[in-house]
Amino acid sequence: MRALRAQTSGARAEPAHRPLVLVAPGKGGTRIVSLNRAARQGGLVEGELLSNARSKVLDLQVRDADPVADAAALRRLALWCLRYAPIVMPWDETSGADGLFLDITGCAHLFGGEERLLADLAARLKAFGLFPRLAVADTAGAAWAVAHHGSGRGGGIVPSGGEQAALQALPLAALRLSPSTQLLMRRLGLRSIGEVMQRPRAPFGARFAPELLHRLDQARGLAPEPLIPIVEPPVHRAQATFVEPVLTQEHVLEAASRLLVTLAGDLARDAMGARLLRLLLFKVDGETLSLDLGLAAPSRDAQHIAQLIGLRLYRLGSEFASEFGFEAAAVHVLAVERLAEHQERLGVAPAGDPRHDEGAPPEELARLIDRLQQRLGKGTVRRLHPRQSHIPERAVRGLPAAASPSPRPSRGEGRGLPSAKAEGEGQKLAPAFEAAPLPIMPEACPRHDEEWGEGGSSASRPLLLLERPEPAEVMAVVPDGPPRHFRWRGVLHQVAEAQGPERITPEWWRRTAERTRDYYVVEDVEGRRFWLYRAGLYGLSGLAPQWFVHGVFG
Amino acid sequence: MAQLERAHRGQAGHLSLGMPEVHAHLPGPGLACGVLHEIAASAYGDRPATFGFVFALMAAALRSRPASAVFVAQRRGLGDFGAPYGHGLVQLGLDVGRLLFVETESHKDALWAIEEALRSPARPAMVAGAVTGDLDLTASRRLNLAAALHATPLVLLRAPAAAGANAAATRWRIASAPAARDRFGALAQPRWKVALERCRNGRTGEWLVEWDHVAHRFRLVESMADHARLARADLRRTG
Repeated sequence: MRALRAQTSGARAEPAHRPLVLVAPGKGGTRIVSLNRAARQGGLVEGELLSNARSKVLDLQVRDADPVADAAALRRLALWCLRYAPIVMPWDETSGADGLFLDITGCAHLFGGEERLLADLAARLKAFGLFPRLAVADTAGAAWAVAHHGSGRGGGIVPSGGEQAALQALPLAALRLSPSTQLLMRRLGLRSIGEVMQRPRAPFGARFAPELLHRLDQARGLAPEPLIPIVEPPVHRAQATFVEPVLTQEHVLEAASRLLVTLAGDLARDAMGARLLRLLLFKVDGETLSLDLGLAAPSRDAQHIAQLIGLRLYRLGSEFASEFGFEAAAVHVLAVERLAEHQERLGVAPAGDPRHDEGAPPEELARLIDRLQQRLGKGTVRRLHPRQSHIPERAVRGLPAAASPSPRPSRGEGRGLPSAKAEGEGQKLAPAFEAAPLPIMPEACPRHDEEWGEGGSSASRPLLLLERPEPAEVMAVVPDGPPRHFRWRGVLHQVAEAQGPERITPEWWRRTAERTRDYYVVEDVEGRRFWLYRAGLYGLSGLAPQWFVHGVFG
Repeated sequence: MAQLERAHRGQAGHLSLGMPEVHAHLPGPGLACGVLHEIAASAYGDRPATFGFVFALMAAALRSRPASAVFVAQRRGLGDFGAPYGHGLVQLGLDVGRLLFVETESHKDALWAIEEALRSPARPAMVAGAVTGDLDLTASRRLNLAAALHATPLVLLRAPAAAGANAAATRWRIASAPAARDRFGALAQPRWKVALERCRNGRTGEWLVEWDHVAHRFRLVESMADHARLARADLRRTG
């Protein structure tokens, strides 16, 4: 692993020649949290009391520290840094939001080597008004140490395997130790890391907190230090940096298409298809636009995915606008699923078999779902699924069509003709489409009937269910009898026929205030049918029963 | 390209209604596939009946074709009487597992989604849409072209007041009718007053139609057509 450490000063983009400090309430009064170069030259240090500082430096600028905003800014910067490496981790354990780790393993060559990468990163950060201190080393600990306390020789790059030498001369503070441990070491007269490394290890381990040796081992690469990435690292990744900033959707799409072709090759090699992709667009001004694309079925068809990106960009509309354009784009494949090698497209359907041409390839439906979803938004394409419940409004739920990867909700063909036997009948079916009445084939009307059976087949259910039951004024001959006429939405309906009641009691295991419902199917004199219910029972104390319209029949 | 497809698919171009008396008024044995059909309610309160008729058609289409069906609804188009209810659809005989619901915000998006579904190589068994906005000649021609590509049955639910010239092949007006009773006197099969208001290369007519959700077919209860008017139409056609 090669870790890159980027350290940015907490005081940002202020006139650099005037001393500026950020302060926060601390022990014994307001203390300095962070300071700029001018203030440091004035003799101030972190942790100093503000009152002391004011007496040392004359025209001291003071601002309140805002750790939340710092963390947000660091996160924004970390997202932007994804253009350099897929694994970026903001570091804030000891000294607040003060920098980033980048895992540049295998990334440096894309920029022409580590020196070039460092130079590029430094130049861009400076353009944002930041003063970065950068270092590259085999371990995150060593990179941190060199970035914070290095002399600046060698351009901050620790050659591979050279941690030991690089750490020798650095002060112990470079090991990211807690203040108490640092104080203890100072009292023992140990100042540099080299001095500690020379001592016998066992007595140290026995007498001091494990922190010291742990940090030392981490810096030397003897103990692991996993980076926690800010966004999940992609399975595959392709990236392009533009020579000129790109402004229009067409150009972004073109670039993304080229990246997708690269990724499609990677995916094909692994026999995988992408289920979740992320398009990252890096703006010139340091913002990052991130778009996630979920696919209804695994795919590695670059053309299809590019189409989805196009639809998604179209939906973004004005959000897409960037004043200065985009300077780089990356496509991350975040989730993959096995996708068997198969003929991408059948050129011509075998002659003499008309059914072949009837059944479209099942992945086409998934593609249609993808396209609709990208343009119309998440959750707009749904399938209805039954749910075990007696409460009508709870007995059905619409699930995103893409979220059900189960092969059962038929993707295209096969549903109506499940078995091999039915396949034979399918031959007859195609012409039957032409000539009128179809034979009744109960066995060809398959599994889902069992699933939908609950709360369905015996009693009547309306075709359209109102979003929520609407109150109706009902006149009945006897109080707990069927309605004679009712007024709903201001219209009076004369009841010609009422059938019921069907009693549905609330599910006792849900602690709701719902009441028992008596449902009636009601047909008015015009032939329109409604689903009414009376909530509550007569003769019980409390509320009088109330009538509602819950649905209408087609 | 579309012509090639059509030639190749040949006569698979009609969705049978199972009623020869109605077919006699239409240019082919059933609802022509690959062109737009409009369905509207005769009154505001009959709008649920149009949904019933469309989903019955869809059940028939799903029965005869192996693919999924797509129902595109503009959110406002559904608002008044609620959304299609799964158990109700099942009682109509519809294979709900093969039905995709697409919900859109605007009229424009709804038309886009319908066209996208029609052009998709997935070849849906049927595409139906519930839209509220206008449908002019250009938009309806676009839909016609898209539907012709794979000879997909296409039905649009229009607002009762919607009118104006467009390229739809037929226009139906649906009104509720008292449902058929089964032998126990229970409300069993839905019935609709179906009026064929406009039909290119065909005749208008009016019928009382019943849906048999077990056999997945319509049945003619009685013909309500005005015979005098029919005769006149016949004369016009021959003369």
